[in-house]
Amino acid sequence: MSKLRGAWVWFVFMLVLDIVIPWAALTHVQTLGGAFTFWIIWVIVAIISAFVIFTKWMEVKP
Amino acid sequence: MSSTFWAWFGVGVYVVIGVVIAILARRRMGVGVSDFFIANRSIGGFVSCMTYSATTYSAFMMIGLVGLVYGTGIGSMGFELTYLAGIFMLVFFLPRFWLVGHKYGYISPAELLADRYQSKWVGGTAAILALVFLVPYGAVQMMGVGYLMSGISQGAIPVFAGILVSFACALAWSRIAGMRSVAWTDAFQALVMIVTCIVLLGVVAHHFGGFGSFFSKVNSTIPGQLTVPNAKGAWSVNMFIGLALPWLFFCVSNPQVSQRLFIPKSVTTMKQMLGGFFVFGLIYTIICTLFGFSGALLFPGLEKADMAMPTLLGQSFIPLAIAIIIMVGILAAAISTIDSILLSLSSMWARDIHKGLINTKATEARQLSIGQNWVIPIMAVIALVFAWWASGKTGLAFMIAPLSSAASAGLLMIVPAIFGAFFWKGGTKQGVLASTIVGAIVVLVFQVTGIKPLGWWPGVWGAIVCVILFFGVSAVTKAPKEKAEEFMGYLKEKLAEGKFI
Repeated sequence: MSKLRGAWVWFVFMLVLDIVIPWAALTHVQTLGGAFTFWIIWVIVAIISAFVIFTKWMEVKP
Repeated sequence: MSSTFWAWFGVGVYVVIGVVIAILARRRMGVGVSDFFIANRSIGGFVSCMTYSATTYSAFMMIGLVGLVYGTGIGSMGFELTYLAGIFMLVFFLPRFWLVGHKYGYISPAELLADRYQSKWVGGTAAILALVFLVPYGAVQMMGVGYLMSGISQGAIPVFAGILVSFACALAWSRIAGMRSVAWTDAFQALVMIVTCIVLLGVVAHHFGGFGSFFSKVNSTIPGQLTVPNAKGAWSVNMFIGLALPWLFFCVSNPQVSQRLFIPKSVTTMKQMLGGFFVFGLIYTIICTLFGFSGALLFPGLEKADMAMPTLLGQSFIPLAIAIIIMVGILAAAISTIDSILLSLSSMWARDIHKGLINTKATEARQLSIGQNWVIPIMAVIALVFAWWASGKTGLAFMIAPLSSAASAGLLMIVPAIFGAFFWKGGTKQGVLASTIVGAIVVLVFQVTGIKPLGWWPGVWGAIVCVILFFGVSAVTKAPKEKAEEFMGYLKEKLAEGKFI
């Protein structure tokens, strides 16, 4: 699998989690330890994933 | 002295600083449309990051998101963080926009599409789509300022006065020196936004006896707001997808934001812009969510949820000086978005409609004159009228957050064309025109009539129709193979050279 395709697959997987976890697994957890914490951790993982990719970019002349 | 006086004083100081920055920016301004609309692609990392942040995060956050959290709970944060996660897509789109912007000299995203699909009508359609759907988005920023100034002064300042202030500032700053003045004032405004909201969070947490005590009170007092759906049934999966889908693609669908992908001066500044924005967005979103919860604890049952933030600022435990500074921060957030929208719309009218469709021989001076002297003032007035009208309405559809998302639902219809431009050689101008026009009509009709077939929101139905039409019509029409090969061939070579993916 190319890096491009792998990154898209990872992103779509994250979007699936975005819905499945809060609505299926955490729907009865009525504390800040539930959906609130999940979404913060989830977005931090997405941000770190982006950093892993874009910190490798090299200077280029268009 | 009264809170009304101090509110006007704060606005006055803010306006003076903003005008000084805009005038300083004008001294650095060169000539031509490239300099006016995209600062000659020469913006540094810090300013790129700040202008991207300030343009993206508007009154929607401190007024709209706080109100939405206050009224409907944690699903609101999930919806907003889904947008932030969507910025992940800029690892694909940022280098692509930037590279072809430099190579082919694109000023607006619509111009990119027009060239890639070899059709001026594609550019014109994309520009008209933006003109139609960005008006409500600009208007909600003005409404946010109106609610805020009215709330701070406990009604002494009419909502319409606040709307007028934001109208005047955005009009001035977008005309003074184009992108350079907008970017510089945005940088100042983004700093004001983030610093003021951190200060306010400290004051609020202190009032509750520290963060631990605040979180305990949230858990014990409003547990029904901490799940999806919430205790009152808000945030069904349909509602979440309906609001989050347009938001997810905001970074490429909204031209005032995607136009900023052209402006960094180097790859290093692109990285600074992207990294800085992620940090800014994460902090800002979490803080706004906590303000919404604090409002639900302190004053439940407001008739208009969008008044949660102004009401919070009016609480006796918040010093007036802090409240005024926060008000200025929110004013900055709103105006930094409106002026960017005006600038983006004026560039698209001048380049993609006037030069593209009406007068192909229009000189750069003529394009600038039309953008500056006609489009910016006219669009500002239309947004002003819309804001005045919508501010008198109540209900979920007229709250700031759903109105903003509704605007993005229309702009979502251009996303398949953008994906096609970079990733599919088979896309055609007929596919783009059919998908954007029919998709936008579906969204408009469903939004105006309030129809939600099977419970799905207008943006979802529009997106389904749009994707089917883009691929279906493109499959039976002739693609501009030569342009596609050249465009994507150039990208392939440069993407490999810069280790982009």
